Amino acid sequence: MLDLIQEYIPPWVPIAIVVHLAVLGTVAYLILLERKVASWTQDRLGPNRVGPWGLLQPIADGLKFILKEDYRPRHVDKILFTIAPAIMIIVIIISIAVLPWGGIKESTRRMTIPTKPTDQEMRAQAQGKLFAGAEVVGVAEVDHIDPGTNVEGQSIPRMSVVEVTYRWPFQITRLNIGVLFIVAVLSLAVYGVVLGGWASNNKYSFLGGLRATAQMISYEIPLGLSVLSVAVLYGTLDLNTMVDRQAHYWAYVIPAWNIFTQPLAFVMFLICIHAEANRAPFDLAEAEQELVGGYHTEYSAMRFAMFFLAEYAGMITTSAVCVAMFFGGWHIPWLDLIWPSALGDPHSTNPSLVTSLWVCILRSVVIFAKTLFIIFVFMWVRWSLPRFRFDQLMHLAWRAMIPIALATLLMTAIVLYFGGARNDVYRTERRIDGALAAAFFVCNVILVSIVMIVSRIVPPPPDTNQRVEVLHSRFASTPLPGHLTATNN
Amino acid sequence: MKDSDVLLMNEPELSLGDQFYLPQVLIGLGTTMKHMLRVLGGKDRVIQYPEEKREDLPVEKGGMLKDTYRGVHRLNKDEEGRVKCVACFMCSTACPARCIHIEAAESPWDDREKYPAKFDIDELRCIYCGMCEEACPCDAIELTHEYDIVGLTRQEMIFDKSKLLKIYDETVEKEPM
Repeated sequence: MLDLIQEYIPPWVPIAIVVHLAVLGTVAYLILLERKVASWTQDRLGPNRVGPWGLLQPIADGLKFILKEDYRPRHVDKILFTIAPAIMIIVIIISIAVLPWGGIKESTRRMTIPTKPTDQEMRAQAQGKLFAGAEVVGVAEVDHIDPGTNVEGQSIPRMSVVEVTYRWPFQITRLNIGVLFIVAVLSLAVYGVVLGGWASNNKYSFLGGLRATAQMISYEIPLGLSVLSVAVLYGTLDLNTMVDRQAHYWAYVIPAWNIFTQPLAFVMFLICIHAEANRAPFDLAEAEQELVGGYHTEYSAMRFAMFFLAEYAGMITTSAVCVAMFFGGWHIPWLDLIWPSALGDPHSTNPSLVTSLWVCILRSVVIFAKTLFIIFVFMWVRWSLPRFRFDQLMHLAWRAMIPIALATLLMTAIVLYFGGARNDVYRTERRIDGALAAAFFVCNVILVSIVMIVSRIVPPPPDTNQRVEVLHSRFASTPLPGHLTATNN
Repeated sequence: MKDSDVLLMNEPELSLGDQFYLPQVLIGLGTTMKHMLRVLGGKDRVIQYPEEKREDLPVEKGGMLKDTYRGVHRLNKDEEGRVKCVACFMCSTACPARCIHIEAAESPWDDREKYPAKFDIDELRCIYCGMCEEACPCDAIELTHEYDIVGLTRQEMIFDKSKLLKIYDETVEKEPM
């Protein structure tokens, strides 16, 4: 079906449409799931009145958002106030583009091209007739048209009817800087928060925006470092290649996922994407209890809904990246051992290659299911942990996460330098075999113990929770006459 | 209070697990997961209100304790169907929310001097403390177990004498004086 229509439309167009509709539809239901998870942790049932089990609740919510008055206070900066939520949602939608959904599909197509003497030239001609992103791997002549003249008397060269075999990635676009692109684009989302906070011209929104800035800058660093730990492992930033190299097994049964080789980097990454998505316990920018909603205090109706959608869509993107980097992406564990011919052979050097469209779709469903699990963890954490104080947030980033992430990167480099160079599987295929994985696991354990010992030795941070002498404050050492002081009452 | 009564306490010492934070995070996640599984196993603590009502449930399952429940007021009637109230103003004096407004008039009957010409209770101001019931010398005002009173305006929620007497008629069989 997709093979037929791609004569006219490149396949990334239907994929992009389906993916974006699926993501935006899922976002609506994620909000329902969030409310359900919140209720379940609090021994309640959650929304269950609109439709069976409350399944129509997102539609009711959406209608409410659309029909509400689009109110804009008079004191706001009109242009920035409108742009801010748009930036958020645009950035998130762009970031979805490079997620790997279904590996690489091999298709064949019959086409008529002028006959050329070499195979290379034939391939180049076939390549020119295909859409961008497709890679011709074989051209086989099945028939030909003899040279002649057409009705206008022009001569026609010999034409070949060829069966072209080509491969194309089952994703919207395959960038060789994939994960770097996502990190770069998602860090732009903070502009939405900061501009929204600034444009609202409201002290609570402003504080929310300020907090978001400092938080994002701090957590981008360990995020990038933990991504690097995985990128160094495979020597690539392309998410599809990363998944491809994880789709095999150690000791015949353990899926070769990075969660086992880089557990520390996974924990760092998970914490950072929580901070990146502005969710509890890192939701200082919107802290309902202190900042009355923070940067979106002044927003209502669809403008607010855009912030809301962006938060959840951002969760989907970052969770999908997390799945691709640490949980084997579209890799269907154990099923491909039983049926390697259809689902991608885990023993080959290129397990991502399949010929069936249905397998590509099944893989998309699998990566989506894994993503939903990570999103559930997001929600689970949100309703379990209290929010950090701001100095705790900063200490966590600068005193714990950045050094540990650096140490993880160093550890990865050392193991690859000493272990990887001697490992034939790693040298030839850039895959981690069982022995190297065991080395990584042991080194991670050693690193954790070193971190625990070092954290006992380093001096504690200065006590930030102290009274600051502000002029004329009742905590000042020289209060105004008649003022109440904190020390003598 | 003497100085010796003041108990000075230090912050509890953090254990090794507390200091590394992540073990405590995992314990916390375990607690919430336990609650989630409990609800998904059907043991939630919700009373589905319009279908289930507190008065129909046993007390140990979150039902209403009928001996002490204080709902909307009623004005009791005596055997001849006359209002029992003698307009002594005890209830409105006792009322901490000042929601009872009585206008007394000469009683048309021989056995008492006064009766309430007007008897208004602002159910929106009322805090349902039951002090009026305690203060009443002739058991004329009582709090029933009814709680689902509605009105579309504030004016509607000021219950006058006829409304309070009507509540008596409606509830007297369920809750005799």
